[in-house]
Amino acid sequence: MARQIVVERGGQQSAFDFAKVDRSKLYGRRRRVPLDPAGEPCARASLSEDGAVLVRAGMTAQGYYTDEGHWVPNGELVSLDEAGQPKEPVQSTLGHAQALKGPFGPERVLDLVPHALYALTPAEVDDALVVGLREGEVYELPFAYRTGYLEDTALLLANEDGELFALVGRIVEPLWREAEERIPTVLEEDDDDHGDLDFEMF
Amino acid sequence: MPAPQRKLHLTNSGGRDATVLFGSLKARRGARLGLPGKTVRFRRFVSAAASGLHAALAEAHGEEYGEALVDADPEIDLELVGRPLGETAQVYLAHDGEVLHSPPSWVEVLYGPDGEEKGRRPPEDREGNVNDDLPVRWTGRKIGKREAIRRFVFTRTLQLTHQDGLTYDYLHGIAKELAEEEVLVMMGGGPKGRDPLIFQTNGSPYRGFLEGRVDGARYQLLLHLSNMELKRPEEPAGEGETP
Repeated sequence: MARQIVVERGGQQSAFDFAKVDRSKLYGRRRRVPLDPAGEPCARASLSEDGAVLVRAGMTAQGYYTDEGHWVPNGELVSLDEAGQPKEPVQSTLGHAQALKGPFGPERVLDLVPHALYALTPAEVDDALVVGLREGEVYELPFAYRTGYLEDTALLLANEDGELFALVGRIVEPLWREAEERIPTVLEEDDDDHGDLDFEMF
Repeated sequence: MPAPQRKLHLTNSGGRDATVLFGSLKARRGARLGLPGKTVRFRRFVSAAASGLHAALAEAHGEEYGEALVDADPEIDLELVGRPLGETAQVYLAHDGEVLHSPPSWVEVLYGPDGEEKGRRPPEDREGNVNDDLPVRWTGRKIGKREAIRRFVFTRTLQLTHQDGLTYDYLHGIAKELAEEEVLVMMGGGPKGRDPLIFQTNGSPYRGFLEGRVDGARYQLLLHLSNMELKRPEEPAGEGETP
């Protein structure tokens, strides 16, 4: 059985099946294809900086290395926070009930930088939640597609036709802009201005 | 948010234009992979020579070349394998595998939502239109915030900021006007101010919606960009796909 997005609000659990939606599934897509003089599609390749190695598809691999040049197997890598301290891996939230926060106003959605959109199909749901979403409420839950080191935020909302979605990404907080921020101000201890006008400097 | 660096030429509701700065709103990186107390770097390296790829091995040893690999390691090129790759230049290979020494010609292939090819045409360059002689225009088409989030998926957000006292007054005024009305206003590019916004040559076109927030003398002016509506595809997509 496919995993579900499961949420909990006011003691009621709801489960949704989900499917990823992207632009190409709504509108199609365009792709630019390079052609050789015979009109056949070209393959892309890379030339090393010194021009000595022509790197074709299938000729490269990638990994993590220490400064001493030793390869670090993926199994030895751990999740680190911004201070470089080890962090507990984040468990996948799929199939596990996540407490909903909200409802939020529309600014919460506008503050999300999304990287995935999922169309939701109610499986077993709290009717009151679905009614609220269809009336324009927005709810938030933690979201991790797979166990790992990244946790995102998902916002549940409905479109004007009542179809349900989860918008997944990260919340950002825009900076407040102020009038003085672009004017450099230099204050020094002996900077007192006593109103004297110094003409000797001329 | 990184310091805004790029310029945007826009008009306000009164038709007055100004050039201001903008930067992308980016989410903070939550965590990274590494080793405690050690620096590790992500690197790309050569893992096989061209003579070690499937097609070359099959040609040299036949389709069943497994035994040849065990016996003589023909796929391993000790001179090349393991070599780190730094900066590289992109080149194109003709259908016979030879490097092209002149630029390729291009064709644009169109695919429908079902993934099927719908047609081909010569590609046309689309010039950027946000830092042009012509400003990005205030279209006057306003939409409530609640309606906007239910109609569009905003995939990018830019924050606009002033570059001097005059543009501070200008942007603060726009933010205040929009905040008081609690609406977004659509901004359009091109000669008539109706075109989608294109930030660089051949970049993706977006519909742009300006949102204003004000806290006393402080302001936030956000240009939300959308290239898709909030709706389901006509055919159901596969369930539980990886993101």
